[in-house]
Amino acid sequence: MSVNLLGRRTFPGGVHPPEQKELSADCAIAPGPQPKEVAVLLTQHIGAICQPVVAKKDKVQAGQKVGDAEAFVSAPVHSPVSGTVKDIALQSHPVLGRAMAVIIEADPEEKAKTPAADRFAADFDASRYSPEQIREAVRNAGIVGLGGAGFPTGVKLMPNKEYPINDLVLNGCECEPYITCDYRMMLEWTHQVVAGLMLAAKAVSAQKVHIAIEDNKREAVSRMREVLKAMGAKESISVVALKTKYPQGGERQLIRSLLGKNVPTSGIPPMINALAVNVATAAAIAEAVVLNNPLTHRVVTVSGLGIARRGNFYVENGTTVGEMAEFCGGLTEDAVKVILGGPMMGFAVADMSTPLTKTAGAITVLTEREVTQAKHAGETTACIRCGRCLEACPVNLNPTRIAHAVMHDRLEVAKDYFMSACIECGCCSYVCPANIELTGYIKTGKILEARAKKKMPS
Amino acid sequence: MSAKLRVSPGPHISQPLSTRRVMLDVLIGLVPAMVAAGVFFRVRGLVLVGVCVVSCVVTEWLCNLARRQPTSVGDLSAVVTGVILAFSVPPLLPWWAAVVGSVFAIAIGKMVFGGLGANIFNPAMVGRCFLTACYGLLMTTWMVPLTIPTEKPYAVMSQSNPDAITQATPLAWSKQAIKSKGQSPAGENVVPAADIVSGQLKQMAIGGVGGCLGETSAIALIIGGIYMLIRKTITWHIPVAMLGTVFVIGGITHLANPAAYVSPLAHLAGGGMLLGAFFIATDPVTSPLTKKGELIFGAGVGGLTMLIRLVGEYPEGVMYAVLLMNAVTPLVDRFVRLVPAGGKPSGK
Repeated sequence: MSVNLLGRRTFPGGVHPPEQKELSADCAIAPGPQPKEVAVLLTQHIGAICQPVVAKKDKVQAGQKVGDAEAFVSAPVHSPVSGTVKDIALQSHPVLGRAMAVIIEADPEEKAKTPAADRFAADFDASRYSPEQIREAVRNAGIVGLGGAGFPTGVKLMPNKEYPINDLVLNGCECEPYITCDYRMMLEWTHQVVAGLMLAAKAVSAQKVHIAIEDNKREAVSRMREVLKAMGAKESISVVALKTKYPQGGERQLIRSLLGKNVPTSGIPPMINALAVNVATAAAIAEAVVLNNPLTHRVVTVSGLGIARRGNFYVENGTTVGEMAEFCGGLTEDAVKVILGGPMMGFAVADMSTPLTKTAGAITVLTEREVTQAKHAGETTACIRCGRCLEACPVNLNPTRIAHAVMHDRLEVAKDYFMSACIECGCCSYVCPANIELTGYIKTGKILEARAKKKMPS
Repeated sequence: MSAKLRVSPGPHISQPLSTRRVMLDVLIGLVPAMVAAGVFFRVRGLVLVGVCVVSCVVTEWLCNLARRQPTSVGDLSAVVTGVILAFSVPPLLPWWAAVVGSVFAIAIGKMVFGGLGANIFNPAMVGRCFLTACYGLLMTTWMVPLTIPTEKPYAVMSQSNPDAITQATPLAWSKQAIKSKGQSPAGENVVPAADIVSGQLKQMAIGGVGGCLGETSAIALIIGGIYMLIRKTITWHIPVAMLGTVFVIGGITHLANPAAYVSPLAHLAGGGMLLGAFFIATDPVTSPLTKKGELIFGAGVGGLTMLIRLVGEYPEGVMYAVLLMNAVTPLVDRFVRLVPAGGKPSGK
């Protein structure tokens, strides 16, 4: 493990932006808006895009599958409400720009789903379920990495003889500023989260299970410890407080902090016998395996100074950003940015009809004041080669070199400086005194590279 | 679509830090040395700083005008160059020479390369180098601190009178000790050169010795350096590598022959060493990007300076050492590569 001077486990590099968690940390998970219409995007994950399995004017039940793909790496999508398929059409997509979605008009009697309190108890026993049963349920429920990556969890939980899993990590870091949905789930749905974690551990036959939480969430740490104690958990499961630093919740950084080992640059965590699962994903696994519920809802944090009411809401997949904003009292006068996700890695949207996806754990609305210092708002000056971006890079890259290579259309130089290893965390842009959009240029470079290889349409 | 919403790639927040703020921190770091310059070289010293700063800023502004680009003087980097240039010239330098040096520093040292961030050499050192080439005598005429007549402080300034009370610098004595191989002139009852330097050590710390305007007070420069370290304007790598190398080389030669080679402390406190270590070599634009590169760079500046001081013809060598290492910086950056945390990607 890596321990810093104060004895707190962490990784090299990273930044410490203002946490802003207090804006919504004390808001208990509450029901979202009354669903009238939802747009379930057919691609909310990494892998093959789903094809609709319903047609226009079809009646659908809540939890019914509306899109699926044959491919191994993919995840089906389900309707969160009972209602009628109004259309299958292009919708605004937070990452891809536009994508196909199944638009469902909810029945008038459909009510907002009230999040039940913790539906699990200390006597939960994961051994009642077989690994195959767990994987099957996870795959059918359409569960993907809810921390933001969106990798199909069913694929992740596949056993691999070459890379057996020793350490399974529950990622409770939630290092993005503002976001508190995982924190609330750890506090309110503790048993469910732990149950999901146990099921994941069973599926991959993990030797050791770690619950990693940033040390700014002390209540979650003690709540987890309490519950584990009540469950009579064995020593093979432990709760670890990690240093509060962005991007502590990045999969590679988390594993590095916890186990002191680096995930190979072009590899995956199982190569060093580790696997990480996000809090919301664990909760979804428990719900899918035990209660047979597909992934149709998730907890979404609405925060930032640019929105009238902040909180954590249990929301139907496919609810639009605009509906959520309206439900929360609307944007304030000085709101300038609506972000799906947090302020570091989230995607700014201008189209309020963009539907929420499985991976959108937050809507952050920033005001002029919050972004005054940020890129795009301020003036960009020349790079003074100060090296702050190199110091902040958690992957030990040379962001300024890569970004300037992309800027000057020299992709071969960018590749030579390991552009592909960038995790796009945004630390370099965050620290740059010249206000250069380093992360933006690197992202552009990766897209240009993918196009050159014809992996992506131009 | 909402008209007022902005869309841009993340991150959407950033640290409240600008290039201007970085430069301002360097200027704040230079304040203690400025105070020392004011104490030891009186109004004359401060006027010289003012002349350099104004000429640097005006030159940059004119270059902006000529290139029809938005003015860049707001980033304060020209002010930093002006102050550092003034600090690295003799207090007796006539004002017109200071103007020549400043114009050359900004116009040729910085703007022809494309302005801040694009220059290869430290602009202040380019200006100083030009002055050394043009006005060799003026650049090596030193005054005794605190000797400016208070009534007519500018009298000597315009005529650049070599008769003004001048004094050899500690490094000049050090050079003499090396040249005489530590032997005192036979038959005469004079103090050996190396002993003169040892006797000056305390004054070198405070600043009451002959030397360049802002270089004489070791304590003032160290205070400024510590400020910049605390503010994270600079990191320890270049100063430590540079001063460490000087200390080791100075220490070994001193131990080998104390009569010929002065104490390493004199090398550390003398000439432009501390100004160089904290304010000149640490110029981000002209030093390597990586920490390892910075260590190589710092050690290179320290080593070359000692080579010039101990073996070369000049008593002082920080300027040439910095310029030489500036020239190697692109090479250092090319060869000192960072490897991603997870190792090189497969297929590389």
